[in-house]
Amino acid sequence: MLARARGLSFGSNTVRNMILRLNHTKRDSAVATANEVVVSLLSLLEEGHLKPAEFARLQVQLDWLQYKQNFREAILIVQNGGQLTGGQLFEIRIDSRQVAPGSLHDALQKAVQPAIPEANPVSDRIYLEDFKSFRSSIAWEFNRLYWQRLKDWEQVTGKGYEQALPGGQSDGHRPEAIADSVENVWTLLKDLDTRNQLPSEVFALEIGVGMGTRVGLWLDRFRTLDQGHGTNYYPRLRFLLGDYSLSTLDRSRAAVENHIDLCSFIALDALDPIKTLSFLRHKILYVHSTNTYDNLPDDEVVWRDGRIYWVHVRSYVSAADAVRIAAACNFPVADIPKTVKRLLEVGAEALPDRDKGMIFWMEIWKALRREERLVNTLDLPDATFPAGLSIAHMEDILKNSPNDLRFQLSSGALESFRNTLPLLHPRGFLQVQDIFVTDLNDYRMGFHGPGKLDGSIVNAVNGALLREVAERSGYDVHFAPFAYRTGSKTSIMHTTRRE
Amino acid sequence: MKLPILPTTMVGSYSMPGWLERLKTEYFARRISRADLDEIHDTAVKAAIKDQEIAGLDVVTDGELRRDNMIDYFVEKLPGVQVDRSSKKFYYDFYDSEVLGKIPMAALGLAEDFKFLLANTARDAKISITGPHSLTKRIRNKHYPSDEALATDIARVMNMELKELVKAGAKFIQIDEPYYSGFPEDITWGVKVLNMLVEGVQAKIAVHICYGNRYGKPSWEGSYRYLFPAILDAKVQQLSLEFARRGGEDLDLFREFKVPFELGAGVIDVKDQTVETADIVAERIRKTIKAVPAEKLFILPDCGLFHLPRDVAFAKLCVMVEGARIVRKELGQ
Repeated sequence: MLARARGLSFGSNTVRNMILRLNHTKRDSAVATANEVVVSLLSLLEEGHLKPAEFARLQVQLDWLQYKQNFREAILIVQNGGQLTGGQLFEIRIDSRQVAPGSLHDALQKAVQPAIPEANPVSDRIYLEDFKSFRSSIAWEFNRLYWQRLKDWEQVTGKGYEQALPGGQSDGHRPEAIADSVENVWTLLKDLDTRNQLPSEVFALEIGVGMGTRVGLWLDRFRTLDQGHGTNYYPRLRFLLGDYSLSTLDRSRAAVENHIDLCSFIALDALDPIKTLSFLRHKILYVHSTNTYDNLPDDEVVWRDGRIYWVHVRSYVSAADAVRIAAACNFPVADIPKTVKRLLEVGAEALPDRDKGMIFWMEIWKALRREERLVNTLDLPDATFPAGLSIAHMEDILKNSPNDLRFQLSSGALESFRNTLPLLHPRGFLQVQDIFVTDLNDYRMGFHGPGKLDGSIVNAVNGALLREVAERSGYDVHFAPFAYRTGSKTSIMHTTRRE
Repeated sequence: MKLPILPTTMVGSYSMPGWLERLKTEYFARRISRADLDEIHDTAVKAAIKDQEIAGLDVVTDGELRRDNMIDYFVEKLPGVQVDRSSKKFYYDFYDSEVLGKIPMAALGLAEDFKFLLANTARDAKISITGPHSLTKRIRNKHYPSDEALATDIARVMNMELKELVKAGAKFIQIDEPYYSGFPEDITWGVKVLNMLVEGVQAKIAVHICYGNRYGKPSWEGSYRYLFPAILDAKVQQLSLEFARRGGEDLDLFREFKVPFELGAGVIDVKDQTVETADIVAERIRKTIKAVPAEKLFILPDCGLFHLPRDVAFAKLCVMVEGARIVRKELGQ
């Protein structure tokens, strides 16, 4: 829905259109209504806090962020990389979930003063990095630290990371989902067997193993099915459990103890499985992962007026949060940036008192916010699209898309996807369960991240883009909603070689 | 020209430039003319020939750069085959096609391609033709009682074309039949149809059988054992098989069945962009010589280089030639 405040007169100026996007709001929980937004902005205009030229180019996006923990203030001014010139939009994004009743006018006034923060840097923020693509942001270093020091985090919170998931456990463990997955693989093996093409070793790979629970359940089920049919495929299985965390791999052993002779535990980078497993190129019949792609480094881009803009971000904590956190951890506020750097290097031991170190980690992560700036890709000679994509391909994909589309590039997911496909046996398939956006138009219908989940980042995965890249490379990609838990937001992506 | 021992050649296709794909799209959008596209193809083919010459290949091809892929180029030319031009989304995909009636005799015009190749190189030349079995597997058969019957009629039409190629100067023709590997149960009638195709064709005939290279990936896996003994009845002079990617295990079949043909041995993995070293290539050739005498060996990539970037494809050809030179030297040649 697009709302326009048309032709308002103000002094000698006739104010042109203001674009108000409501696509991302929720009816029941939107505190900031369209009416409040319009009234507040017109007040700011009348009071002189907003210039007519800025008003004329206003684009206001009303979001409703489903992640309680995220990187956004209630009001976010998306900068245009410098002076507001030409036809550039003056973009304000409002998280209606965060706006307290009656506070919108003041919050907007604060946010638009100054309207061009580059010219008058906001002083109440402590910046932790310069503007850069999100993929390179310090936020992902926090994410890495979380997975490396998961036990530390779990000890403090008293709950395992799976308990932080919606539903309290991984959807990947649902018995019905596992039964269907096993059935698919068994049927494939049966078909190969019928054609006398069954390999002597049947390789399967799980990328991102968690506690190993899914693989254990999967193997239990496969053995039962195999024995029931008397096909004797189970002994041919070679199940590879791949994860970049050695401690996670170690922890997963217990879950597959009944099948340990069939299992191998392999340290691999989810971004580049083929690098570790190149000896299995075109050999693996079944590759699976659950909620791995949504946690891989990502970029966001905007398609506007036939151009692609990169969303550059700059992480910061507010001065108020910094003062509070520094006081709780007994060090000067000015030491926040260097303490963050140290935290990301060594974890909670960054502070002499480890308990304080954990508090610092959790509080600074909670307080971490980001400013945003749009940069024309043409002005970024080193803008790197993920392998399989180029500006030409992107423009080709986007040429029929609606204007003003902001979406995840899913750089890490694309990289992982592209570097997994060569492992597939010609008849093999890749199953990925994740929070996919399967149609680019859906990006206009809701907020898709990033958010925070415990100490990690959670981000929707641009399934539509993955499908485009895969199809250009000779693969067919299909998405099916995860039907095994009511209300699940995840889908299963099924990828096979095109016949 | 007298070929050296262990002569080197391509299977057929050379690296397809991304810009050629885009220009072809421009042509379909009617933004460039047929004459422009022909000139673009001519230029691309000349460049492919030059690259092969610089790399040092003994037998060159036209790089198959006029072809979208190994199927559509022939399907579009086969009379009586209906092609749905709206059916493919990407350049490398195959059109949906169907045959609704008996395929009439007609020229396919491949001789012109070969004449262009001959006019632009002084080296020995080879042309590759997709075989009837593989074409049959991509055409929806709505007329013939069986795949074999359709393939037989395609062979009948293409036999005439092969004879036209010989008239145009072709001395070395390769028939591509990768779909044998996907349908091993067809091998007996596949060989029978192959023999109809080459009946009376006065040229050296090779048959290339790989495990597929669509989008630069294998379509099937398995062992060449399925070829035997049926393939021994083929009226060809050379088998071209892939060994670099799959390893040389199936070379034992040549000892086991006392294969009478030359072997075009694939010693370059075309599904991996890593460029082999000449030493690795030499080692693969040495291993092959243990199963097949050097005098009966041609040195090739596993399959076409269509899906490799040009710099990678060129580098792979260079190391293949260098690897062959190393072994020739060891053989005192």
